[in-house]
Amino acid sequence: MITQKIDERVNWLDDRLGVQKWARKSLNKIFPDHWSFMIGEIALYSFAILILTGIFLTFFYSPSTAQVIYHGPYKPLDGQKMSAAYESSVALSFTVRAGLLMRQMHHWAADVFIGAIVVHMCRIFFTGAFRRPRELNWMIGVMMLFLSIANGFLGYSLPDDLVSGTGIRIAFSIVLSIPVVGSYLAFFLFDGNYPGTQIIPRFFILHVLLLPAAIAALIGAHLAIMWHQKHTQFRGNGATERNVVGSVLWPTYAFKTLGFFFLTTAVLALLAGFFQINPIWQYGPYVPYHVSYAVQPDWYMGWLDGALRIMPAWEITAFHHMVPNVFFPAVLFPGLTFMLFYFWPFIEDHFTKESVTDHNLLDLPRDNPVRTAIGWGVLTFYFLLFAASATDVIANTFSISLNLVLWSFRFMVVIVPPIAGWIAYRVAKEMQTWQDAGSRKRATIIVRSADGAYLTEEAEPRPGDRAHLLPPAEVPEESLAPAVAAHVGGAGPETVSPGQVGVTGAALGGAGRPASGGGVKRAKRDHRPSGLGGMLDSLRPRRPRD
Amino acid sequence: MRIHLAIPSAVVVFTAAVGVTYFASPAPGAHASSLGTGASTTPTTIPVSHNRSQVASGKTLFIANCSTCHGTNAQGSAYAPNLVGLGAATIDFWVGTGRMPLPFPTAQAPEKKPLFSASQRHAIVSYVTSLGKGGPGIPNVQLKGANVATGEQLFSLNCAGCHTIAGVGDALSAGYYAPSLYPATSTQVAEAMRTGPGNMPRFGPQDITPQQLNDVVAYVHRYIQHPVDRGGLGLGHVGPVAEGFVAFLVGIGSLLLLSYWIGEPAEKRESHGAGA
Repeated sequence: MITQKIDERVNWLDDRLGVQKWARKSLNKIFPDHWSFMIGEIALYSFAILILTGIFLTFFYSPSTAQVIYHGPYKPLDGQKMSAAYESSVALSFTVRAGLLMRQMHHWAADVFIGAIVVHMCRIFFTGAFRRPRELNWMIGVMMLFLSIANGFLGYSLPDDLVSGTGIRIAFSIVLSIPVVGSYLAFFLFDGNYPGTQIIPRFFILHVLLLPAAIAALIGAHLAIMWHQKHTQFRGNGATERNVVGSVLWPTYAFKTLGFFFLTTAVLALLAGFFQINPIWQYGPYVPYHVSYAVQPDWYMGWLDGALRIMPAWEITAFHHMVPNVFFPAVLFPGLTFMLFYFWPFIEDHFTKESVTDHNLLDLPRDNPVRTAIGWGVLTFYFLLFAASATDVIANTFSISLNLVLWSFRFMVVIVPPIAGWIAYRVAKEMQTWQDAGSRKRATIIVRSADGAYLTEEAEPRPGDRAHLLPPAEVPEESLAPAVAAHVGGAGPETVSPGQVGVTGAALGGAGRPASGGGVKRAKRDHRPSGLGGMLDSLRPRRPRD
Repeated sequence: MRIHLAIPSAVVVFTAAVGVTYFASPAPGAHASSLGTGASTTPTTIPVSHNRSQVASGKTLFIANCSTCHGTNAQGSAYAPNLVGLGAATIDFWVGTGRMPLPFPTAQAPEKKPLFSASQRHAIVSYVTSLGKGGPGIPNVQLKGANVATGEQLFSLNCAGCHTIAGVGDALSAGYYAPSLYPATSTQVAEAMRTGPGNMPRFGPQDITPQQLNDVVAYVHRYIQHPVDRGGLGLGHVGPVAEGFVAFLVGIGSLLLLSYWIGEPAEKRESHGAGA
């Protein structure tokens, strides 16, 4: 029999490597169910799509600035001289089967990839998931954000169209602006003065090999550390600092995450099919003395472009030399930004001294109003800078003076973030006091006694009451599968609230499985509405209250 | 059982999306233009007739609608420039695009629905040009045989700096703006190039030959006003800002909703399972 043969082989391997134990342990790994834990997976799967579509694009793209004559179906370019890079990109969009779909999918995936990183980072920040023991993973994440933005810019530059060429020109000027070493560095990068012939091939190899390899390695480290440290989780539902409540990797979570991979792919394919992105044929080839107005970078570079735009024309001198104005918004500012993000866990810990213990239970944004206020202020600041990269679009759309828009942003980036932070602080403080607003409370009966005094009595809890949850209590060890109990680092007892149903080994695919096959540890939860209201509602705490 | 449905449906949606979008793409070369030599045997400008009744009716219209600012003999005033000797193209452009008459002064006269009919406009042109010679005439645009590749190069060099490479226009400093090229007729595009209205530079026959003028106008007419959007919705042709919003609202937004749909199924499952 074949199965017997397979069993023999597996046993042979197991005797030597002990894979069975490892596999069993891994397949029983518990993953939290909360939807916000899927945001990082949007980024992960977008990266996979980036790799797949990117490989397709390299089959047809020619990373060369050699001048060629275009002959093809797009008549306004017919007979024009252009770089081989641009010619191959246009050909990719017009004559290669599914080429444009792949190009657009690649570009949308890049936009969504970095967007998902930012949203994921917001979740980590506002819930305090970066605290001990996860400082390293936060720093790896910030590094990936930086590398992704850099790689996005490189990819955006590769088609060598009029708009992206302007971006490279700006990048050259930014490198030039670095004091002392700027001109050497710029000439080193571009192999001489701008534009040269080397920049496209160099950007290409950085874009398709070095940076993706670095990002992939960091993703590996990111996931390995997460695997080792286990997930954080929201309070409630029996979650403690020493356990993980959720679904097992196999089969529940594996199928869930596989489905999410397909969904991410579907969304990116739909975006690529219905929304045009970066129509390079309309922009024409890059000619250094041509320029188009209203040129913006992709959104993830927008905050840098905005900083460049609103920087006042100050001439700052240091050591009797003028420091180029561009240096401050384009080199110093992003440098400080990433340093702040990179070291944030230690900056926060310097004030809170929270790192004496591990933090596996998440804060809600309201639990730490100061952090929430800082985060919200910083987000507002960078959003304003992003909006400032569209000063011309805003002025044109709303028929107001460009100068007014520019000056408004100069004031707003200073004034608005503290106000936004203060509002966030107040809202967080308020929310601490009305956690149960909108939900039915357990009724209180007021009784008038014979001598006229009023007494209150708590009514029996009804279904749907929110404030009837009781603090978690111990569950006897034997009611849980050993493999599951081992998951909590060997020490923490599994907990479910009394009067609630603790489920082991039930649910999807678990019915026919033996108890050792890893159960779904789950405590019944109060009913939550579905839809958007439910999505927002799920951010509410599920903390047992007394 | 949501998971079991989620994966097949996601695969179906993905496959359908790829298929539909692939076959929905228009065939290459849908916008063909003939390359040819536009032999300029045709006159480069349209002559303006000055018959007496046309001049007279033009004068009536001018006195009623224009003279408040430009003066009764179009000699100009403190509020508005002298029009004598500016040429037919200037008058035809400003009146034909609805920029004149101007109800109240602003940084830049906005384009609006023209006040006058074509014959009334011709009459005003006839009257004003009868007051003095000079200035460019109304260009006689011949799009047949124009080379859109030359047009694209000239557009990229001379026009994209303000109107943007997509021709959607954009804000300039201090309330001025480069208007969108979408509503302009071919003749109006040519007139604007020859006369340089407002902040726009003037491109005379020494800068842009009549044939090059036709090339640019043909490019604007065929490719700027009717862009080849084979990639899908054009998103206003304003570039990455609009794309960024779509990436967030459509891309990340729908994925967050999907993650909510696919995440935390257990409690519902449990409530089903409780009865089973």
